[in-house]
Amino acid sequence: MARRKLDEIDVSILRNLQKDARTKYSDMAAQCNVSVDTIIKRFRKLKDKGIITNTTLLLDPRKFGEEVIANFSIDVEPSSVDQVLEFLKKQNGLCFATHAMGEYDIFSIATRRNMNEMNNLKETIQSHNMVREVKTNIWVDQFLLCPQNFELEPLIEE
Amino acid sequence: MNELDTKIIDFLTENARLSFRRIASHTERSTDTIINHYKQMLDKGEIRGSTVVVDIDKIGYEGIAAFQIDTSTSDDLDSGGILQTLIEMPNIIVATKTVGDHDLLALAVIHDVKHYQQISREIAEINGVKNLTSCIWSGNEKILPKYFII
Repeated sequence: MARRKLDEIDVSILRNLQKDARTKYSDMAAQCNVSVDTIIKRFRKLKDKGIITNTTLLLDPRKFGEEVIANFSIDVEPSSVDQVLEFLKKQNGLCFATHAMGEYDIFSIATRRNMNEMNNLKETIQSHNMVREVKTNIWVDQFLLCPQNFELEPLIEE
Repeated sequence: MNELDTKIIDFLTENARLSFRRIASHTERSTDTIINHYKQMLDKGEIRGSTVVVDIDKIGYEGIAAFQIDTSTSDDLDSGGILQTLIEMPNIIVATKTVGDHDLLALAVIHDVKHYQQISREIAEINGVKNLTSCIWSGNEKILPKYFII
């Protein structure tokens, strides 16, 4: 897969927006020493190219009553991954589920109001006849999101 | 959290750059009211910030890896130190302490298999890391953006 080349202005826009999606165009323009129009055009171009899909809020599920966050590592019968994934995606509280390669077949993340609900979810998953094993890890303390850790510099054109 | 807060969150989750003036007009409130509610939600930690969602595939990442880490100590402070090291590593985008089968979880964006091996090695070499279990998946799978930004 070819890597998209970006220049320093594109990278600066992405870096600013990774830290704060509401950064003003004028602040980014001043930082890059270009006009506000240039920043707006570059931002639109990044969206048109599909590099930026959208801008969004970072929310804390615990403040929305989803007190328990956990990830499940799920081992399933061979060739039944898609079937189990379909089943998982219908479960309340499942934020994410994907076919993974490695120690387990499926990696998923869930949020639930309390431990009781999380246990019920685990039992529901475990009750699927194609599921062999479910391992659970409950996230404790604050989880840290660091979108700024993406490496963008290697993409800068020479 | 009241109805207006929920509406503000809904608008900004779709487009975090939407102006407060526009939200005010949609909700028939004043711009100042919207700004105040937004700031209150920030202060309470309900909103942790905002970010841009990038298509990782288009910036040269082929997938995401989950590293589940066992530490050699039960000392909470030490796992805190490992957590701090993890979040300072390039390409680690989510990290948390866990209880259950493992002590820590880190999600990383990966360029290719070689890069995945390199990150695995770097994590394994962190002082206090005893064991590492990992899996990878294609970047085409999206984590729903309500709480997670991948």
